Amino acid sequence: MSHRPPRIALALLDQLLPEESFEAVTGDLVERFERTAESSPMRARLQFWRETLAALTQLQWLPDRITAFTPYSRESRMQSLLSDIRLSVRVLARAKGFTVICVATLAIAIGAATAIFSIANPAILSALPFPRPEQLVMVFERSKEGVSSRTGYATISDITERATVFSHTAAAADWDATFIGEHDAERFRGMRVSWKYFDLLGVRPVIGRGFVQGDDIVNATGPMIISHGLWVRRFGSDSSIVGREVDVNGVKRVVIGVMPPSYEDVLEPESQAWRVLGYGPTNNSSCRGCRHLQFIARLKPGVSREQADREVNGLALQLSKEHPTEYATPGGVVLGLQDRIASQAKPVLLALLGAVGALLLIAIANVTNLQLARAIRRDEEFAVRAALGAGRGRLAHQLFAEGLVLATLAGVAGTVVAAVALPLLVSLLPAAVPRLQAIRLDASALFVVAAIVLVVALVMGVAPAWQAGRRRLFDALRSGTRTLGLVHHRARSGIVVTEVALAMLLLAGAALLGRSLMRLMDQNAGFDASGLVTLDILATGTRYSEPGSVLANHERVLEAVRAVPGVLDVAMTHQLPLGGNWDRYGVAAMDKPLANPSLAPDADRYTVTPDFVRAMRIPILRGRSFTDAETRDTIARVTMVSDALAKRLWPGEDPIGKYIRVSGPTRPWWRVIGVTGNVRHTGLDADVTYQFYTAERQWWWEENAMTLVARVRGEPRAVAPAIREAVRGVDPLQPMAAVTTMDQVIARSTAQRRLGLVLFVAFGVIALLLATAGIYGVLAGSVNERTREFGVRTALGATSGAIARLVLREGAVLAAAGLAIGLGAALVLSRYLRTLLFGVEPTDPIAMLVGATIIAAVALAACLIPARRATRVDPMAAFRQ
Amino acid sequence: MLGELEQIVMLATLRLGGDGYGVTIQDAIRRATGRDLTLGTIHKTLVRLEAKGLIASRMGEAEARRGGRRKRHYDVTPAGVKLLKASISALRRMAAGLALGLETR
Repeated sequence: MSHRPPRIALALLDQLLPEESFEAVTGDLVERFERTAESSPMRARLQFWRETLAALTQLQWLPDRITAFTPYSRESRMQSLLSDIRLSVRVLARAKGFTVICVATLAIAIGAATAIFSIANPAILSALPFPRPEQLVMVFERSKEGVSSRTGYATISDITERATVFSHTAAAADWDATFIGEHDAERFRGMRVSWKYFDLLGVRPVIGRGFVQGDDIVNATGPMIISHGLWVRRFGSDSSIVGREVDVNGVKRVVIGVMPPSYEDVLEPESQAWRVLGYGPTNNSSCRGCRHLQFIARLKPGVSREQADREVNGLALQLSKEHPTEYATPGGVVLGLQDRIASQAKPVLLALLGAVGALLLIAIANVTNLQLARAIRRDEEFAVRAALGAGRGRLAHQLFAEGLVLATLAGVAGTVVAAVALPLLVSLLPAAVPRLQAIRLDASALFVVAAIVLVVALVMGVAPAWQAGRRRLFDALRSGTRTLGLVHHRARSGIVVTEVALAMLLLAGAALLGRSLMRLMDQNAGFDASGLVTLDILATGTRYSEPGSVLANHERVLEAVRAVPGVLDVAMTHQLPLGGNWDRYGVAAMDKPLANPSLAPDADRYTVTPDFVRAMRIPILRGRSFTDAETRDTIARVTMVSDALAKRLWPGEDPIGKYIRVSGPTRPWWRVIGVTGNVRHTGLDADVTYQFYTAERQWWWEENAMTLVARVRGEPRAVAPAIREAVRGVDPLQPMAAVTTMDQVIARSTAQRRLGLVLFVAFGVIALLLATAGIYGVLAGSVNERTREFGVRTALGATSGAIARLVLREGAVLAAAGLAIGLGAALVLSRYLRTLLFGVEPTDPIAMLVGATIIAAVALAACLIPARRATRVDPMAAFRQ
Repeated sequence: MLGELEQIVMLATLRLGGDGYGVTIQDAIRRATGRDLTLGTIHKTLVRLEAKGLIASRMGEAEARRGGRRKRHYDVTPAGVKLLKASISALRRMAAGLALGLETR
């Protein structure tokens, strides 16, 4: 035996093909080596390596190796798994603290991940619940900003007539539906749709019938379809509902159908009622410039979206040649329906999926870390079991079974967490998240839980086995040296560094979102939002059919509210800034005629009662506001324009006394009497839009749906009930809705950002706690192992400060490494948050600094306890150990 | 029908008359076919055959030149012999009359 086989190869064999099961294989390899080495030692070594690699690749994953080679061969694998699980349950029941911490940590992360997945799934991950959803598209006209969200009826009917790529097309408009009963009136969101709308989507009412062509006649009033929810709630699931006459907005409508419970309108998720559009070419609202309709279509089978896009663009260009004054930016676009409806919510949902993924990784890292620490302490147990004949495979199976039991418990608990958290999250979600009603813990969510459980079980089972293997390997390589601590330490430190990095990533995200929201709230809305009560009122029905009766009602309401104690100013407007409304008109100046009237700037219309700008504290920069007397004049119309609109129409000129015309050449002229400050209408994060103000008495129809705004002294919520009562006192049947404060209206307009921020902060805090626990665990373990060393140092005269520094340095290295990696990752990944940021760069140094400072401070705190313990080591006790 | 590798390993085991083990089976195959199968491949095939009940194994004595490790000896079971016969006669029938010069006796 002058030659010995390569030791590293032998160690590898021992590590991956343990002696207990593979003695004969390794023996064969060694014998082959000896035989060859007699003639050529060099060839024998090479051959041994080749044989080793072949044996490892051929045999390591052999499923039969357990049954074929171990003393357990008579036991079926199922039986052995069951006995492993029984043993695991006993072991885990004994280690209560460990089990509870692991299950709790994992349950929170699994619950969060499942809840976020369930929210994102219907909106962006799974297909829309319609037949052949990939054929559903939306059609848009081009506009200055890209695409115009709404289209005029004439354009839709022209494209429908000429296009060859669509099997169905339909138009849809918003509809405010107030159901008037004998004792009450309730206001719902509804839609006016082409009769083909539901056929296009491929859904049918569960009760009654859908719309047919005969329903959709010009100025149609009659038939109406209602949602399942409305049928249950307002009509008590009455089975004879079909044919029932209902008073809606003062018009008798006949219910012809009830939609299925699962139906949620993709264009208007809150819609509860549908009536036919009833437009024809002669309808007032069917002009090309009346851009208030959504245009939805279904592609013919085999037609791609790109094909449709090309054709529609061609048709739109053709239309703009035929009607040169109607289209400002020629061209058309076809977008997938799902892409379009999810476009707003997608960035925040993707960011949240990423964040919750990071949280899940941290949780898994943490329990793995605990499991590793525990495995070290269980060395003796394993040694005894090995001595009693348990093979390496058997021990690995045992660890896997323990992981499986833990992960399954956590999976069940996590599902409960998700079930509790999901309704809560859904109530916080902004309406912009599509398909809210489809959010539930379904089979796909449970599948996600199962997948996570399996991964956790594998990681928890494999990590200790891997660690144990490394230890033996190292032992074999440098026999005699004690390397246990080092190896175990390295693995656990790596995990802790990863945790710190992920926590840094989440905190940096949270800081970026927080800074964005702060910037947003600092944004000047153009009015004073504090101390404002708002409520929607509606004057509708037969009592308000007389001309002037709506205005008279408004006057009485204003008078009643003005008398409420604490009310300083009160006014009404037909749309509220930041309220999510969209009512814009092209504004033309009399002294600046345009060749193409479509190029006139679009401005938000505010049709108001005279005191509106005062109640809102919108500043008047030039001129004055309306006087009560001049708004009663129905001939000489007066208006105020916003500063931006004045500068756009008359740069460098005095706008006072100039005339404007809105909504087309047939309309009257308005004299400008004042210039107001700009107001953010579409969103605090949106660009400044143009506005013009008209008195409601001078607008050419009576606005029966108005929002009342009351500026009050003190807390708005305290005065709101009294205002409500005052309105009720004028007309008890008058529907009222959305009694709220302007601050809440603004909060709602930023709901998506707030939700993103809240979740990022929550995930960040949990991640931070877990990472801190990780640092603490590693340091505490290390202090334990080094008790002797600290004893020696103290005995040799090291001060407690020097000892504490030793420990702190170890912790600082871990934290700094994690911070550096996390910061790098944050700088790279934060650009995926860009669409959620406002006024802050993705690499904002302050946000990064905030994240890093929090991590550093908390990490330091985590180091303090182990450091203190190290300084308290009694040298005598340490030696006696 | 047995796989080619399985046939070769079983035939080599039969030749060694119940005393064969990894190294000698490897040598027997190399001598008869010139193919240099790795011990890993041979053991994998043996494990598979044993799981199917076509061969049986017993542990032998430890030897110094094996680093103190025991041998595992293999023998073909009656079921294995039966299947081997069926497999080879199937090959024969497939080759019959093809003038490949296979009909030596």
